[in-house]
Amino acid sequence: MTLQRDIFIKEITKKMENDKKIYFLSADFGAAALDELRAKFPKNFIHCGISEQAMLDIATGLALEKNKVFVYAMAPFLSLRAIEQVKCGPGLMNLPICMISVGIGLGYADAGPTHYANEDFSCFRSIVGSSIFTPSDNQTTKLIAKDMLTKPKFSYVRLDRDKQYDLQPKVNNTDYRNGFKIFGKIVENKIAVISHGKIFHDCIQALKQKKNKYIFINLFRSKPFPSNLVKSVKKIKNFLVVDEQTPSGNLSSCVFEGFRDKNFFPKIISKSLPERYFFENGGREYLLNKFGLSKKDILKATKDF
Amino acid sequence: MIINDLENLAKKYRREIFEKFLKTKQGHPGSIFSMMEIVVSLYYGGFIRFDKNKKNFSDKILISKGHATSAIYPILKDFGVINKKDWDKWGESKSSLRIFGNISIPGVDITSGSLGHCIGSGAGMAVSYKNNNQNKKVYVIISEGELYEGSTWEALLFAKHKNLDNLTIIIDINSLIILGKTSDCLNLDPIKDKISGLGIETHEVDGHNIDSLVNILKVTDESKNFSCILANTIKGKGSSVMENKKNWHYWNPMTKNEIKITRDELK
Repeated sequence: MTLQRDIFIKEITKKMENDKKIYFLSADFGAAALDELRAKFPKNFIHCGISEQAMLDIATGLALEKNKVFVYAMAPFLSLRAIEQVKCGPGLMNLPICMISVGIGLGYADAGPTHYANEDFSCFRSIVGSSIFTPSDNQTTKLIAKDMLTKPKFSYVRLDRDKQYDLQPKVNNTDYRNGFKIFGKIVENKIAVISHGKIFHDCIQALKQKKNKYIFINLFRSKPFPSNLVKSVKKIKNFLVVDEQTPSGNLSSCVFEGFRDKNFFPKIISKSLPERYFFENGGREYLLNKFGLSKKDILKATKDF
Repeated sequence: MIINDLENLAKKYRREIFEKFLKTKQGHPGSIFSMMEIVVSLYYGGFIRFDKNKKNFSDKILISKGHATSAIYPILKDFGVINKKDWDKWGESKSSLRIFGNISIPGVDITSGSLGHCIGSGAGMAVSYKNNNQNKKVYVIISEGELYEGSTWEALLFAKHKNLDNLTIIIDINSLIILGKTSDCLNLDPIKDKISGLGIETHEVDGHNIDSLVNILKVTDESKNFSCILANTIKGKGSSVMENKKNWHYWNPMTKNEIKITRDELK
């Protein structure tokens, strides 16, 4: 298995062969695939120093000159450290800058709370004009990269630090255009589990024993909220929404608002991290277990319907 | 144009903008008046090149102190880039002109207002021009107060490392921020030592002396280094009612006598 970041960067590297307008900016954050990109395209790889704010301003200048710009950094710093630059640059001027954010959720356990990105999703949801992607697998990651290279847009792509399992069946071009993929047959009395990123796999694992009771919705594009999701799931009455964020503005808020805009009001239960910072050691799975996001907790939450 | 003409132009633009302040009753006269000779030198000294047929500029000017972007509106109006109707209706909802500059305004190259962004953006543009062998220059005007923003220094380090000789930073040093003198609020001095200490080619100039400004801009244009000009200015320059007074960062109501005095002094 390959890391999501390497998949994404390899797609960019391939395109750079024939497109000198592509720029890749890093705030001192690496990847195996980045070594090749840096070596082959030294003029189009820009090391901005450990300076996320300046990186976004530099990206803004490049994008104003009609370049295709990718910025790359660790999720907690790219999202929060530079968010005002994001608003004033790609936000206010509607510039097609793609932000590749690595290590969402508790991905950087046991680095500690400075390195966790448990609020990046809600922060970016509030920035006008942005698209948000949280792929759970390499296939979707590759499709996002191709899309951003073909039709650059202001986007925030949330990648996991760890390797991710494949999804079967694979996300295809139609699914990609929709922004989501449904696993399982839609039947009225089933519970729909909506998630994205790494935790989507945990949901499938948690509920695999009685998987006929559930459908799983991989919401890899949460903004703009998929316009035809409600049409696809309107028979379903119960939704469990799971993500690795703190409660305010998390994926369940996003789903509720997306449903509300279509006048659809099913029961929604939110499973996310609690409203606190995490100082404990023990690794990502330990923290997820301790703070109510274990596979057992996900299973238990389905009993509340 | 000869220097005398440029000095007269700077006065004319201060007069025109003063009349707009009287009409709109809002804006940042102190910061606009302090940089008027700087922008006149850039536009009329041959540094920002203009294509008469396309009615656009090939070089960029980013006003990082976005509250003072309106200093260039009358210039853009005279170049025919901003239309007369927009200029005449400034202050009304139908005009595209705003207190702060944004890219919907013809001739304005960046949306600014939040401080500390434009050296980075200018550096991005300069990198693009160099990589594409485009003969274009970027001038970024920042306020002295923007030296308090960390992103300013991040971007200076970057521009120096890349030696962006097609990027020139002009710092409008009028020594005042909203709450008082920079030296009292949070001292920035010695600014020249701090910037040149990064290895940046640094020049100091009287920011109201057009002759000096044009000469130093020629030096930085010909330099093979990324460079920075420290322009010493007076906040509210040209009006004794406003000069060196912190409360004239923003527009204030004026008495009839103050209006008369200012109009007389701006002649």
